[in-house]
Amino acid sequence: MSKIYIIEDDRSIRTELSELLRNAGYETEAPSELENILDGMIAANADLILLDINLPIVNGEVLLKEFRKSSDTPVIMVTSRTSEADEVLSMSYGADDYITKPYNPTILLLRISAVLKRSSRSTANQYYKDLKINAAKGALTSDDRELILTKNEMIIFQLLFDRQGEIVTRDELMTALWDNNEFINDNALTVNVSRLRAKLCEAGYNDAVETRKKQGYILK
Amino acid sequence: MKLYDLLKDRIFIFISCITAFLIIFLFMNAFNADPQLKIITGVILFLLLIVNETHEFLRKKFFYDDIKIKMENLDRKYLISEMITPPRFFDGDLMCELLSEAGRSMCENIAEYRRNSAEFREFIEMWVHEIKLPVSSLLLMAHNNRSEISEKFLEQLYRIDGYTDTVLYYARSENAEKDYIIKEIQLSKAASGIALKNRETLLLNNVAIRTSGLEVTVLTDGKWLEFILGQLIANSIKFFSPEREPEIFISAEEFSDKTVLKYRDNGIGIPESDIPYIFEKSFTGENGRKGTRSTGMGLYIVKNLCEKMGHKISVNSQKGEFTEFEIIFDKNDFYKFN
Repeated sequence: MSKIYIIEDDRSIRTELSELLRNAGYETEAPSELENILDGMIAANADLILLDINLPIVNGEVLLKEFRKSSDTPVIMVTSRTSEADEVLSMSYGADDYITKPYNPTILLLRISAVLKRSSRSTANQYYKDLKINAAKGALTSDDRELILTKNEMIIFQLLFDRQGEIVTRDELMTALWDNNEFINDNALTVNVSRLRAKLCEAGYNDAVETRKKQGYILK
Repeated sequence: MKLYDLLKDRIFIFISCITAFLIIFLFMNAFNADPQLKIITGVILFLLLIVNETHEFLRKKFFYDDIKIKMENLDRKYLISEMITPPRFFDGDLMCELLSEAGRSMCENIAEYRRNSAEFREFIEMWVHEIKLPVSSLLLMAHNNRSEISEKFLEQLYRIDGYTDTVLYYARSENAEKDYIIKEIQLSKAASGIALKNRETLLLNNVAIRTSGLEVTVLTDGKWLEFILGQLIANSIKFFSPEREPEIFISAEEFSDKTVLKYRDNGIGIPESDIPYIFEKSFTGENGRKGTRSTGMGLYIVKNLCEKMGHKISVNSQKGEFTEFEIIFDKNDFYKFN
């Protein structure tokens, strides 16, 4: 379970954000006392830090710059400042991503998992059962066969695979697809999931993708 | 300054001189003066008048012609008093002095307004950011406690967010300060960002989005571009035609010196008579009056933001068929060296 350290001075956002992340299966730590926060950041030994820019004592960008001197833990800046200048500055100080408030919670979760994945990516190949996932080629390959997936199917499969055994909601799938410039509607999503299921079925993985009514899908 | 102007200006002097000549000659006749004396006196007086007036004419001509040329070439005309060389004649010197004092007082006034407007913008910016905090908080609450009512809350919260953004960008676009950053932005990233933000509304209205050729980069401010596209999408949603499946088509084409972004919807279009005015402040037009409520601010802000960043925006529409906006991004190799 990945641990996320939340630095946020607004009490209400802090508690709701912690709840959101805990529901999504992360461990969270969200200090309410922001003095000597730099020591806290380092001591927390988290896998990822969500950092607000407008903090009462110290500016988040300055904090990030200091923090980067001693740690390369991924940091996502979460802020209500919507200027390109803040984003450029944060990125140059070593932020891994930059999200503006008010954010769509699903997008936030998507970005968090993307950053975590990037930072922990092992060089080992990813396998689903005995199929090797070849995202660049858009294919699932084993010794004797190759399953070619369309871009949409690959995005869906990858998200289901990353959270194998858990329910992935339709909202999350839609968000991931739209984030990749695939602006499909609800019906098209259903069609895409059925096609993916059929392809996996054809390859001998019956019922690999299970539908949970009104909840989402699970990859078994 | 022409000779005619001088004659007109000094007509009184000429008349009084001629009258004086006549009186002198009358006296000379009365005293039976020598005709030679008459001629010499006449010539001397005449020369005196001509020399004086020519000198006066040339002096003024040089001075005023110089001001005129400087004024024509000056970009900020109110700074003219700084450019004038004092002419060394009384009324000219006096005018210079008054002009420079008036200029100084106006500059002070402008500076005060500029300061006020910058302060006002900072104030708006600050409070819009404060408003965004409870909105974020509510969004998270609605998300953490999913129910039918929370979906409705989400929709309203996104509306609040959209309106606060409009306020923010209005304040930014009206301000003289340059507070954007031009860098290379991939159009597909801006498109997906804004589409994702409007996903619920777009799906609710069954809008299909198609894109083509957006894998190009342009020089712009990413946040501003997203706001611009967001305004166009909001307009499209307001004015779709009930007769067709709603569709938005966003495409880009790259040329050697520019990139053209085209945004097209198949909505009810804009009446031809309204097209010249749609970017004007508070203009609502035929569509805005009969259909959905319009403020007439969205496209005005869009145009302002485009102009500030140096992009050209234009519209092409056929009533009942489509509306197409075109944004032209110039290429500038200078930026690429950095």
